[in-house]
Amino acid sequence: MVTFSNGYLVDNLADALKIRSEIDVTPYAGGTDLMVDAKEDAVYLFLNKIPELRRIYSDEQYLHIGAACTYTEIFENSLSPQILKDAIDYLAAPAIRNMGTAGGNICNASPKADTALIFYVADAKLRICNTSGERILPIEDFYVGRGKTVLQKDELLVEILVPKQGLEHYYYKKVGARQALAISRVAFAGIFTTENGIITRCAMAFGSVADTVLRFRDLEALFVGKSIAEAKSIRSQFIANYEQAIVPIRGRVSAEYRKSVCMNLLEDFLTQNGI
Amino acid sequence: MESISKSIPKRDHFPKISGSAKYVDDLSFEGMLHGKIVRSTVACADIKEILIPDLPEGYFVIDKNDIPGINSVHIVDDDTPVFSDGTVNYVGEPILMVAGKDLKVVNRLMKLIKVVYDEKEPVLDMMKSETIFYQYGYTKGDWETAFREADKIIEEDFQTGYQEHTYMEVQGMIGFYENGKSIVRGSMQCPYYVHTAVKRAMGLESDKVQVIQEEMGGAFGGKEDYPSILGCQVAVAAYKTGKPVKVVFDRSEDIICSPKRHPAKMHYRAAIKNGKITGIDADIVYNCGAYTTLSPVVLQRGLICATGVYNFKNLRVRGKGVKTNTVPNGAFRGFGGPQTFFAIEMFMDHLAKEIGMDSLSLKESMVVKQGDDSATSGKYHFHIPFPEMIEKLDQMSDFRKKREAFRNQTGRYRSGIGLSLVYHGCGFTGSGERDLIKGVVKIVKNTDDTVELLTAGTDMGQGLKTAFAKIASDTLEIPLERIIVQNPDTDRVPNSGPTAASRSLMVVGKLLQRAAEKLKRDWKPGEYQEFVEKYVHPDFMIPWDLSKFQGDPYPDYSWSANAVEVKVDTLTATTEIVGAWGVYDVGTPIDMAIIKGQMQGGFLQAIGYGSMELLDVNDKGVIRNNSFSDYIIPTSMDVPHLETEVVENTYDNGPFGGKGAGELPAVGGAPAYVEAMENALGVNLHHTPFSQEDTMKVLEAFKK
Ligand SMILES: Cc1cc2nc3c(=O)[nH]c(=O)nc-3n(C[C@H](O)[C@H](O)[C@H](O)COP(=O)(O)OP(=O)(O)OC[C@H]3O[C@@H](n4cnc5c(N)ncnc54)[C@H](O)[C@@H]3O)c2cc1C
Repeated sequence: MVTFSNGYLVDNLADALKIRSEIDVTPYAGGTDLMVDAKEDAVYLFLNKIPELRRIYSDEQYLHIGAACTYTEIFENSLSPQILKDAIDYLAAPAIRNMGTAGGNICNASPKADTALIFYVADAKLRICNTSGERILPIEDFYVGRGKTVLQKDELLVEILVPKQGLEHYYYKKVGARQALAISRVAFAGIFTTENGIITRCAMAFGSVADTVLRFRDLEALFVGKSIAEAKSIRSQFIANYEQAIVPIRGRVSAEYRKSVCMNLLEDFLTQNGI
Repeated sequence: MESISKSIPKRDHFPKISGSAKYVDDLSFEGMLHGKIVRSTVACADIKEILIPDLPEGYFVIDKNDIPGINSVHIVDDDTPVFSDGTVNYVGEPILMVAGKDLKVVNRLMKLIKVVYDEKEPVLDMMKSETIFYQYGYTKGDWETAFREADKIIEEDFQTGYQEHTYMEVQGMIGFYENGKSIVRGSMQCPYYVHTAVKRAMGLESDKVQVIQEEMGGAFGGKEDYPSILGCQVAVAAYKTGKPVKVVFDRSEDIICSPKRHPAKMHYRAAIKNGKITGIDADIVYNCGAYTTLSPVVLQRGLICATGVYNFKNLRVRGKGVKTNTVPNGAFRGFGGPQTFFAIEMFMDHLAKEIGMDSLSLKESMVVKQGDDSATSGKYHFHIPFPEMIEKLDQMSDFRKKREAFRNQTGRYRSGIGLSLVYHGCGFTGSGERDLIKGVVKIVKNTDDTVELLTAGTDMGQGLKTAFAKIASDTLEIPLERIIVQNPDTDRVPNSGPTAASRSLMVVGKLLQRAAEKLKRDWKPGEYQEFVEKYVHPDFMIPWDLSKFQGDPYPDYSWSANAVEVKVDTLTATTEIVGAWGVYDVGTPIDMAIIKGQMQGGFLQAIGYGSMELLDVNDKGVIRNNSFSDYIIPTSMDVPHLETEVVENTYDNGPFGGKGAGELPAVGGAPAYVEAMENALGVNLHHTPFSQEDTMKVLEAFKK
């Protein structure tokens, strides 16, 4: 362990969790969110030298992405799903992608977080640890509002667990104010799967429109178990449900603009899937 | 290509690329204090009281009472206070400065200072302003008859928004006061402007004020007027504290209080008879903000450009610059031209539709040529290469074919292509060069046969040192390494005028060339020699009369033809810029890489002005998006395909045939972009920036 004037650099997870349990530290991964408005008196726990947080590997069910893996590392890893790579390709610019991490993106708890959107739609889970053990929870349960999570003072996000199956057939669109270095104004991700002509999954997530990423599992359920033709016949009802459910907030762009883009992309997603 | 045009590494290239260049922020001096400025948080008020906490030893508050001279910054007029005189007129107006050794302590003290305001209702809407700072107008031909006898009169309103300079290096200055002498060094375009202003505020004679330019990271006009204000403030602070005082802004402070491009509202009318435009009438309002700064000259240039590059026989142009309780607007690359050029280019496009022509044919049929009268009854004395430029542009962009093909599209993606024809008048507007500036340069040959060029010209990244050195080296026929060009110091250099108005190369460069020719004729190896050269007004010019607004406002013009192609995604209302092509006449390029760099950067900046650069001022007069994450400028990813070409059309009164270049590319990008959006969306458009949200509104309206 190395102690700096502004924090601690550790080289294993156990030490990190120990510090976390004893001292009031701010976890620091790439620092690309933290440094923007750096607090002068902050004490950091630097995560970038912890091997347990830097691995990408897969088991039978999940791809495990270490919370402190940089975007560049995730992008260059052959195990990473294409939908995640697409999001990274449009995220910030190379310098930020070399530093910024998926864990930081998730823990910063912004509704504009581009990879958090992908983890939402992909049904990803988070592995969170403290000195006494771990808990694994779906990413949706991690958030309680803008900038707010259920992460406790003694915990660290260690891994993101992304299901290995079923992410091939996806739709992704990020709308920023420009082609690079653009924070999302609206981002949409969809996953659609069928088995023997029956819809098994029609997942949709909307970023940058509300306090957290939005996903409506109950509305998605309407299509599950139906054939494409059946889905088509209730398309307008399906759309109307979303029309009602999505209530964007105004930010640098108007709520009306955000709403129009959400609905246009949702409709296009359905159309492209034959609905 | 002329041999002088062959590119060489810019003089500031290696220091800037390697990071060794030292900017104001990098400089430190014995005993130096850091200053921060307390600014108004309201748009219009009398200050009732200022509550200042007890200051620790070595910490100071500097305000209007500490000014030894006059509390007024000389720019063109003198209405800008150094520090508030008891009223505030915009959010961000400087009230006082806190200075001390430790910036953290200064910042803490800043937060403890309370200003108590007696607030007044601010005027934020330029159309509601009752204070007219400046007003001009002119006519040509018989515009009244043209309108009286017209078959049809077309009227439209146009609007252009703010633009922030977003130079990489923010504003920064250091003041010193030593032995009765005020010294100011920092990031500035015009050392002698700062010199004049500091003299007045400090109540000192010329020889007691010294101004030195430091290495600069960009300006775009934003460091033409503002350094005079900050220069006075640091000079006063150094005088009061007896220590060097440095003030360097952070980005949000810079965006809040430094000048911007003037927003404009423009009402245009056209008289049409027998399918021809017989008269134009333009009524223009520029929002000056709370103080005048450079507004009179910006407005003049805007009005001169109001009828574009077309030969209208009958016209009337009127315009005023009005006060609002917003940040004072000032110089910005293009200097008043981009606003009216946007309006006239869009209007021509719309008029072409009315007449039943395509817009390029209409424009070509009316474009000015050598010998024509100008709008202000001056003359176009030299060849105007539009026919060649348009042909070249068409070859590069395939404009004519695409424009036709992009009519009546359906489907998710809609393409569009737009074109603009513009100029930028080279040099100071009107008789400024002759009556106000009277530029002087000096050239010194040292005993070791090196030659130093002494001018007030500043290199802010645009390559002036390199261009000056090339002119001297080619004239003297000695190697470039023997030419010395340093940052100007008013104790050493004569006043060759401001580095502005696309004048430096054409006017100052020419003086240097003449001085170099004299030195060459009289070259005495191993001896010290000096030559001084003074401005001579070109005798072919028709004298400019500001009261009539008539004559030649510029000796010559730089010309450009621009095309932009877009692809609109109708689902997201986002626009991809498929290509951008520009053809420029800047006379002989003194360095091809510098010219290309200027043209590409300026073009991109102008596309930003037309598309995404939206400054969000709320109903209290507060600029909300005062950071780079919220004030959006284009990146190179936004225009991956950007091609620029020059046509060579030498100007005999410029060095080696060169004329103005720096501002030209900032003029034509916005109308070309918005015209492309019109072509894609199939509607007439009237404002900049034309944003994603604007596109969505058009698309949603189609659905209804
Ligand atoms: C110029 C620029 C452009 C950007 N563009 C984008 C963009 O296009 N899209 C986008 O989504 N984001 C963007 N961002 C935001 C930022 O880069 C991302 O959110 C990034 O993923 C943050 O990761 P980091 O490792 O740098 O986080 P850090 O700044 O290190 O941390 C962010 C937060 O997460 C906490 N944290 C980090 N790791 C852990 C952990 N393992 N356990 C618990 N808490 C943790 C930190 O304490 C902090 O609160 C941009 C930022 C900048 C500066």
